[in-house]
Amino acid sequence: MLLALAWKNIWRNKKRSLIILVAITLGLWAGLFSVAIMIGSWDTTVNSTIDRNLSHIQIHTKEFKDESLISFFIPNGNKIANEIIDLKEVRDVSARVLIEGMASSPSSSRGVNIFGIDPDREKNVTTIADYVVEGEYFNGIKRNPILVGQKLADRLGLKLHSKIVLSFQSVDTTLTYAAFRIVGIYKTESSPFDEAHVFVRKSDLYKTMNSQPIINEIAIRLNSSEDLDSTYAILKENYSSLYVESWKELAPELSMMYEYLIIEMEIFLAIILAALLFGITNTMLMSVLDRVREFGVLMAVGMKRVKVFSLIMIETIILSLFGGIIGMALGTFTIWYFSDKGIDLSIFSEGLSAWGMPTILYPILPLYFYGVLTIMIVITGILGAIYPSIKTIKLRPADAIRTYG
Amino acid sequence: MALIELIKVTKIYDDNALPVRAVDEVDLKIEPGEFTAIVGPSGSGKTTLLNVIGGLDKPTSGTIIINGTDISTYKTDAMINFRLQNIGFVFQAYNLIPVFTAKENVEFIMLLQGVPKEEREKKAIELLESVDLGDKINNKPTELSGGQQQRVAVARALASKPSFVLADEPTANLDSVTANNLLDIMEKLNKDNQMTFVFSTHDARVIKRAHRVVTLRDGAIESDEIKDKAMANA
Repeated sequence: MLLALAWKNIWRNKKRSLIILVAITLGLWAGLFSVAIMIGSWDTTVNSTIDRNLSHIQIHTKEFKDESLISFFIPNGNKIANEIIDLKEVRDVSARVLIEGMASSPSSSRGVNIFGIDPDREKNVTTIADYVVEGEYFNGIKRNPILVGQKLADRLGLKLHSKIVLSFQSVDTTLTYAAFRIVGIYKTESSPFDEAHVFVRKSDLYKTMNSQPIINEIAIRLNSSEDLDSTYAILKENYSSLYVESWKELAPELSMMYEYLIIEMEIFLAIILAALLFGITNTMLMSVLDRVREFGVLMAVGMKRVKVFSLIMIETIILSLFGGIIGMALGTFTIWYFSDKGIDLSIFSEGLSAWGMPTILYPILPLYFYGVLTIMIVITGILGAIYPSIKTIKLRPADAIRTYG
Repeated sequence: MALIELIKVTKIYDDNALPVRAVDEVDLKIEPGEFTAIVGPSGSGKTTLLNVIGGLDKPTSGTIIINGTDISTYKTDAMINFRLQNIGFVFQAYNLIPVFTAKENVEFIMLLQGVPKEEREKKAIELLESVDLGDKINNKPTELSGGQQQRVAVARALASKPSFVLADEPTANLDSVTANNLLDIMEKLNKDNQMTFVFSTHDARVIKRAHRVVTLRDGAIESDEIKDKAMANA
């Protein structure tokens, strides 16, 4: 009957109860959706960076990490790459030649990172092929084809099939010049990347430099990102003389961004919950003050203070749970809808592109978070009800009964 | 042994700058089955005396013995439990739980006592029938007249099988017909069940029917008149 009384009490002032229900619902919905957007934005950025060029794990020589010179190649690099492909967790491997050089057009020149790749293998490791917006991915030009970013093409005033000259230091430290023809122009979500990276066939680089098939970088794509830590440990152990790094070390800013994200989320949720706490306290206080005489009578006729306390707690928990469930349902639906359709932020594409962020955002929320938030809402409700409850049980029945209101 | 015994009970309100002596060294004995009215002008201490007897207020000094138990030193929760088991209350403003039906209001007291569902439902209906509200058991207070609400309050007061009922100005908000009707019911309960009633009132209709009239002035007993000794000692 205590539950029945609490339930009936909630609905005796429908307007007030609905206001607090809506506040809890909106608070939870906003909390869930905002957190899902934050996590989704981070996740999309990470995935897009991994997909674009980073891959899950990379291997270099220690010297190369200190100074990115082509001469610091991985001894027996191709053999190691073939060994790694055999690991069951590995989808594919791209053995790359990396050179810092200069790209020149008749009108201008820019410093670039030259990626010497095997186009077919690279397609299995990164999604650079999917970003080609003009021309084709290494198809259509037989001699020295090159893939350049849209931004670089714009800066150098180049078009599809234009000639571009790359100059770089060869393995034997001599300065080498080679002419390439643009086979495709790509455009990723990161304009800084597009401006600074060009892709050529590594066989063309070997020919130009008259070099052995050396490699500076082994980029490893895993079947599942869940295998990252275990595969990373295996590679680290097997190739201890080399520098094995996961994407978290390769792009520390992304890891750091996640830590900031967690702090941001905590602050954001704390603000939402604090607002809810005051809202619940205020509403329950009003509700209790409206019923001072009634509580006086209940205590006069024999209702123990612990039961009066419980009654107010139950009322608040019911309200919080209802608001929580509705907010959860709304939040889940909204996240589910946008996780499929995505949130189109192309209106901000220029700004997002400068930060290397994609323009379509897919909100995601780990399952455990729903449970955590529900518990937090209920705890907030309980905390919010403590002050009104204490105020109530401190009433003197003789005074409370004579209160009119 | 007296049902209620007050020995030199004093209640002083010292919340304000000037302390108020609301009850002043009152000695009073009430026997089982009495139908007693505590009367007096406004501010004479009637309600305070009733609150002190009912354990709703603690006396500043003195002793209150109910059924042989000294309740003056009871702590809050022990006092609440004592009230639940021993005292029935009827208030001037009825004070029913607005979200409950008449039956639920009566049942609620028995629920607090831990009476099983079936038993308390049966008893609640019986009590409501005894106050002529058998046809209103499922009505909420807002659907009942003032007199009907006060009769539900009487049924509620009796639900816990109390030793006595304290009624604070029970007829103050009722018209003559309704008040007399309510008093008829209370008189009948007193006569048939030997239920002790102690009223705080200045209603002439209650005073007229009371078997004993205790008059207070400035917190002290001015007179104690037993109108019908046989009834008062019944």
